[in-house]
Amino acid sequence: MSAIVLSNVSRWFGNVVAVNDVTMTIGPGVTGLLGPNGAGKSTLIHMMGGFLAPSTGSVTLDDEPTWRNERLYRRIGLVPEREAMYDVVTGWEFVLANARLHRLPDPAGAARTALATVEMTNARDRQIATYSKGMKQRIKMASALVHDPPVLLLDEPFNGMDPRQRLSLMDLLHTMGEQGRTVLFSSHILEEVEQIAGSIQVMVAGRHAASGDFREIRRLMTERPHQYTIRSSDDRALASMLIADASTQGVQVLTQNTKTPGTDPEGLRVQAVDFARFVRVLPWYARERGIRLFEVSPADESLESVFSYLVTR
Amino acid sequence: MNGVVARLTLRSLLGRRRAILLACLPALLLLMAVAIRWMAGPDDDLAGNVLGHLVAGTMIPLLALIAGTGAIGPEIDDGSIIYLLSKPLSRYRIAVTKFVAATGVVLVFGVVPTLIAGYVLTGQVSRLALGFTLGATAAGTAYCALYLALAVLSRHAVVIGLLYAVVWESIIGGFVPGAQALSVQQWAMSLTQRVIGDQAAELGAKAAVGLSTGVVLLSVVTVASVWYTGWRLRGLRLTGDE
Amino acid sequence: MQTPADRDTTPVPNGGAAGVIHDIGYQRYDGSRLGRGYLLRTLFLDTLRGCYGFGRSAKSKIMPLVLFGFGCLPAIIIAVILNAFGGEELPMTYPEYLWTLSMLVSIYVAGQAPQAVSRDLRFRATSLYFSRPLRRGDYVVAKFAAMTAAVLIFTGVPMLILYLGTLLAKLPFWEQTGDVLVGLVGALLTALVLGGISLVIAAITPRRGFGVAAIITVLLVANSVAGVVFGVAQETGRETLSAYAWVLSPTGLVDGVLVGLFDLPAVNGVSPPGTTGCLVYLSVTVLLVSACAGLLLGRYRKVSVS
Repeated sequence: MSAIVLSNVSRWFGNVVAVNDVTMTIGPGVTGLLGPNGAGKSTLIHMMGGFLAPSTGSVTLDDEPTWRNERLYRRIGLVPEREAMYDVVTGWEFVLANARLHRLPDPAGAARTALATVEMTNARDRQIATYSKGMKQRIKMASALVHDPPVLLLDEPFNGMDPRQRLSLMDLLHTMGEQGRTVLFSSHILEEVEQIAGSIQVMVAGRHAASGDFREIRRLMTERPHQYTIRSSDDRALASMLIADASTQGVQVLTQNTKTPGTDPEGLRVQAVDFARFVRVLPWYARERGIRLFEVSPADESLESVFSYLVTR
Repeated sequence: MNGVVARLTLRSLLGRRRAILLACLPALLLLMAVAIRWMAGPDDDLAGNVLGHLVAGTMIPLLALIAGTGAIGPEIDDGSIIYLLSKPLSRYRIAVTKFVAATGVVLVFGVVPTLIAGYVLTGQVSRLALGFTLGATAAGTAYCALYLALAVLSRHAVVIGLLYAVVWESIIGGFVPGAQALSVQQWAMSLTQRVIGDQAAELGAKAAVGLSTGVVLLSVVTVASVWYTGWRLRGLRLTGDE
Repeated sequence: MQTPADRDTTPVPNGGAAGVIHDIGYQRYDGSRLGRGYLLRTLFLDTLRGCYGFGRSAKSKIMPLVLFGFGCLPAIIIAVILNAFGGEELPMTYPEYLWTLSMLVSIYVAGQAPQAVSRDLRFRATSLYFSRPLRRGDYVVAKFAAMTAAVLIFTGVPMLILYLGTLLAKLPFWEQTGDVLVGLVGALLTALVLGGISLVIAAITPRRGFGVAAIITVLLVANSVAGVVFGVAQETGRETLSAYAWVLSPTGLVDGVLVGLFDLPAVNGVSPPGTTGCLVYLSVTVLLVSACAGLLLGRYRKVSVS
């Protein structure tokens, strides 16, 4: 069990502040590092991987600073963002070389295991230059896994992968997290983060905007109205009651499109300002008036909306 | 030294196109040597001239430039160096390995052909041939270290290295005597001069610095450059494309 | 600028009821377009500017401008001395100045030719060019012309500085004008030869650093080999060989043409013997330049569009 701890970390390049006073702890399990391009994700990962010194603050892995600490790489597997590898060698030779560089007791065995883990055993004797983008990504993954590290850092691992490859990489990361490894990956593809990350760290413009479980983050942002879509047996009656209650800010009756029935949403769209109160009073009102609720769904609970809220705040 | 690093380095150094370019230089040297021998017979004067101009002045600096910058420059350029740096491996060890690999390439493609060319030109394993071979070894080693350090320092290592080798050593060194004292070529020439002995000056092997100065400066430059390479690798920033 | 969001986003009915295409403000352009000539000119100017670092990062400006400054410096010094202390003639002729510049020019083309072509190849930008009404030949013509112009500026400007110096120092006008024109012909030939060789090598080595090394190796080695052949031939008394040795070196070649055509005294030992010699030097130059152009055309015919 390993933990990466950043305390009051800032990093600037000349006049540009890439990371601004970030404090976070990355523990075991899968963590998604989320943010738009230029938010400082890569800078953070480079600092965690010991390739950049923080301008102020400290970055440690299990209480050891990562900067200029080569021994630490025994415990870190790194999947860089850039695609370049030693193109002229085969996948097997590349992973084997990585195993040897780690001075593993059985490099060939470790390389075989790593290649099997990423399902590249069949293509291992082809030159890396001939690989597709997804295959290269998997070879990078294998080279990071070859020494069985407790910490995995992945910079934009889903870039350029097709949906099937994405799924299998998500599975793999999930398994790694289950095994108790500390897995951190950066991404701006939200659905993957949402699906596999136990927790997320959100970076916006170099600042640590949010961290934790994303639903939890969402809940914490009480100042932001939550939207719900509600369908019931009597939308208008329910609407009048809801707008009278202090927990809501606005209720919109979604009228049915008469020309093309079934294409537009019907029901109510409710803006709730007091999340806790709203979920309590809604069923209570419904029962009082004998209105049946067919559907109550948060309209914007996806990570995408959490994220865009943070970004545009 | 690290075997894996050495092998990876050699593989990219001796990639197809690079190997052709590297092989062109000694091939041309040997061709010239054979042609001159055929035209003029064994002649120490000519041999000194040819080895001085072609080997010490052109071939060794160029080979070392290609090998020294090529041993690490492309990896830094495309970012694949990260696979070496993300290993529990001393940066100094990486630097030394790259240096040895580059020097090895210069030995094979530069120094051995020099000895052969010297033999062809003088008709024997003469002091002249040995002197220039030793000079080529020393210069090749120092240049390799210097260019390796340059390659971790700047992305324009090749051009800067050229400016040093061509503009500083040849052009400025040709007009300003002081500039010659700061020239790898001249330091190595002091070794050549010593081996050849009394006739050295007539044979075009006159160094601008004394033997001890030359040896000391060569060693200092080599060691300092390799050390600097390792030190720089410890804090190498891996940035994106240009 | 108007963003798509500002535009009218009412759905435009599209026949059936199932789907609509929203007009999010993309506009079709139906007006007249600038043609091939404009593309050629743009590509030429852009490459030429790039050869001196303009339109590129600040760092890329350093090298070409420093080299250019080095090349001009002696000319400025000579001009100043000539005006300050007087003198009957230039301490070196224009072709001799060209000769002393040859190292600098070699380094300059080695540094700039790869950036002019290899990035397009490495990042597959050529397919973007060729999807325009630009023919492959046009690309080669534009790049070759730009490289030639860049080298011409590199060597021509110092000569013009010298010329200006002689005019200010009131040296005979017509004599100097004739001399500088000869020098400029030499500069043009140098530009064609070096531009051609460097572009061919750069076009087959998509890695920038390696391209630089390959070009300089070829140029320097050609020079040293020519020098050694010349030296050996002289010492062993082979006059014909020594007279033709400089054909092997790009800069020697140009000097030979100048000496032969304009009946100059030998420049650093380069003097083609008589009319035949002049013809040999001239035809080798023509052959070399056209071979480079042909190789470049062949190279870009092979570049895939996708």
